[in-house]
Amino acid sequence: MNNRKKMESPWIYAMQLSSVILMWVFVTGIITWIFNLLRLSIYLKDAQNATLGISLVVIPVFILLASVLTYVFIGMHKKTDEQQKNI
Amino acid sequence: MDDLRHDKDYTLYKPILETDKRFYIILLILLGVVAWAGYMYFRQLQTGLGVTGLNRAISWGFYIINFVFFIGISHAGTLISAILRLSQAEWRRPITRMAEVITAIVLLIGAVHPILDLGRPDRILNVFYYGRLQSPLLWDVTAISMYFTASTVYLYVPLIPDIALLRDRTHKFKWFYNFCSWGYQGTEHHKKVLGKAMTILMVIVIPVAVSVHTVISFIFSMTIQPGWHSTIFGPYFVVGAIFSGTATLLVVMIAFRKMYHFENYLKEIHFQYLSLLLLIFSIFWAYFTFSEFITGIYGNEPMEMNIIRYKLFGDYAPFFWGMVILNFVIPIIVLSFKKLKTIKGIFLTSCGVIIGMWLERLIIVVPSLTNPRLPYEIIPYVPSLTECALFMGGISLFCLGFLIFSKLFPLISIWELEEGRTEGLQEAKARLDSYLPNVVITGGNHYE
Amino acid sequence: MPKWGMVIDLNKCTGCGACVNACRMENNIPVVGAEAAQDGRTMDWMQILTEYDGEYPNVRITHIPRPCFQCGDPPCVKVCPVHATFVNEDGLVGQVYYRCIGCRYCMNACPYTAKCFNYFKPKIPEAYEILLNPDVTRRMNGVVEKCSFCHHRLALAKDTARYEGRELTEMDYQTACLESCPTQAIVFGDLDNPEHEVNHLMHSNRAFRLEESLGTQPKVYYLKREDK
Repeated sequence: MNNRKKMESPWIYAMQLSSVILMWVFVTGIITWIFNLLRLSIYLKDAQNATLGISLVVIPVFILLASVLTYVFIGMHKKTDEQQKNI
Repeated sequence: MDDLRHDKDYTLYKPILETDKRFYIILLILLGVVAWAGYMYFRQLQTGLGVTGLNRAISWGFYIINFVFFIGISHAGTLISAILRLSQAEWRRPITRMAEVITAIVLLIGAVHPILDLGRPDRILNVFYYGRLQSPLLWDVTAISMYFTASTVYLYVPLIPDIALLRDRTHKFKWFYNFCSWGYQGTEHHKKVLGKAMTILMVIVIPVAVSVHTVISFIFSMTIQPGWHSTIFGPYFVVGAIFSGTATLLVVMIAFRKMYHFENYLKEIHFQYLSLLLLIFSIFWAYFTFSEFITGIYGNEPMEMNIIRYKLFGDYAPFFWGMVILNFVIPIIVLSFKKLKTIKGIFLTSCGVIIGMWLERLIIVVPSLTNPRLPYEIIPYVPSLTECALFMGGISLFCLGFLIFSKLFPLISIWELEEGRTEGLQEAKARLDSYLPNVVITGGNHYE
Repeated sequence: MPKWGMVIDLNKCTGCGACVNACRMENNIPVVGAEAAQDGRTMDWMQILTEYDGEYPNVRITHIPRPCFQCGDPPCVKVCPVHATFVNEDGLVGQVYYRCIGCRYCMNACPYTAKCFNYFKPKIPEAYEILLNPDVTRRMNGVVEKCSFCHHRLALAKDTARYEGRELTEMDYQTACLESCPTQAIVFGDLDNPEHEVNHLMHSNRAFRLEESLGTQPKVYYLKREDK
């Protein structure tokens, strides 16, 4: 466990962080797209209820998935007392 | 590296650490097929969809059939892995990784197929700018992107401890494993975080997976075409998907067991349990198919009967009865009798099921289009070389994805096996204690 | 708002195919070639269906011209993923060639198989180039197309009427197919307007619509054949 400092070079950490950020960019893209479709359906008066219903399901699921990934990322990199003892 | 060779699980590390000539030969062949498929698609982009065998009436063919087929296979993975993990079945431990990889790869391939089918793929962004969420195709786009994200995350999170093992114990791809492992060190805190994340994912992935194939069935059942407009399609497709997915999982397990000598890890009992699952789903599938056809035949509505007659006794009769034999007759016979339920028997049955389920998709898509309501003269559909090439390309991409995955990551979850050997034992004992009164474990020295 | 519709008298239709050809000329419909025709890829917006009743030599043949029915509740519009087919303000089902992504879902959803697809880049024989109609968009490879009730003529008619400061009359907007019909089997007009002939004919006791029980509300009525 004491070669942790050696392995976690700042470049690797930056790449890992950017992968999480990419996930959030992807999720934001999906949410933007769904909102665009919702706006379009209201403007064209074409199945607003269906669009709203689908948005209400899809958006929380994507946010949940991105949050789980972020939770794992933060959990992996958090410095707890236990790790301080090991190092 | 020396200590690894003496590790009891060295067989699981071997595919990553050692590469033999067979690997490169298979890799080259697969790359060749994919390249050929790519070239055929390029020709389609140049000339148009006319290179397919489609025509005015039968405007959906191989691409849509393969789309439904590949997405159907994706159900194996995540569904089986999630359900088995949720029910804490200990025998799932060597299986989950392969199941999750099947899902991730096959979803990508399946999701690409509707794009192959488009007449104007250069306008795909129109779906994003002007999409209509009232259209079942858009439901597909959302559901598949949801499922792909969920299954990739669900593949990745349990992969982290194994990547950490590879990072610590091997000298290959150091920066790659470093990057992927996200600093996992195996501490209590890390294990708790991963455990919690996996629990949430397990629960969310099951309804997402069910919704995906239901939504694919809605592409057909939301139209008013005879043969398609059936209320049973949602559950029918989901059951069919799990059926074909389980068969694919069995084929993949048996293939890799032979290739990488996993006999110690993928034991008879795993195949017995999975083939029991296959048998159950075969019966389920037969039940749904029977319901579908008996309601049509008994109702005797002329448009429906046209199509049913075409499927059962007309041009599609060999495909229909072939499907029934491959999907129902053979699994029932082979999987009910111990003597026939050998690894070879299970392998052949599973291959048969995969072919049978592809035939089922063919029988759903094309006959309804070949028998329209108004009296047209229909030219039957014959797939062209381009469509066959892209089908082969899809299958090769699947094998390729697996091959590359097996080079980078362990195909059997090493940390879960270890967890099973130590903690799994206590958990199983505690569970037994909670089910039954006065449990006394006798015999066998590994309970002390 | 006028409800543009058609009434086709099956007693009068001889199956000559003049309407099919007039439509081809009016709407720049491409020629697919002999090979594609054998593969079942002919493109015609107006098609003639043939119903055979009885056994030879007592066969009764009915010819049924079938344009797009411009349904009131179109199944094709429901399933289009990109708003390429839609109900426009004239109550007709429009098709936007520049937005269509060629998924062909609308073709499969139509219970009348009224749409056709450009499987290759559409070709017009060189000799016919001079006959192309400048009012109608030429379609491109990989998009769906269908009968539009000659919507370009409606646009022209509306403009003319507005320029002349009057309302649209029955004869201002007539489709190309009926203009060439030798027996005047096809009648076109506003189904809701009691001054238009279609309004009388659609209430005839011979009038029926195809697949009416599906609830698509087609705007083309047929007058049943009467046997003498």
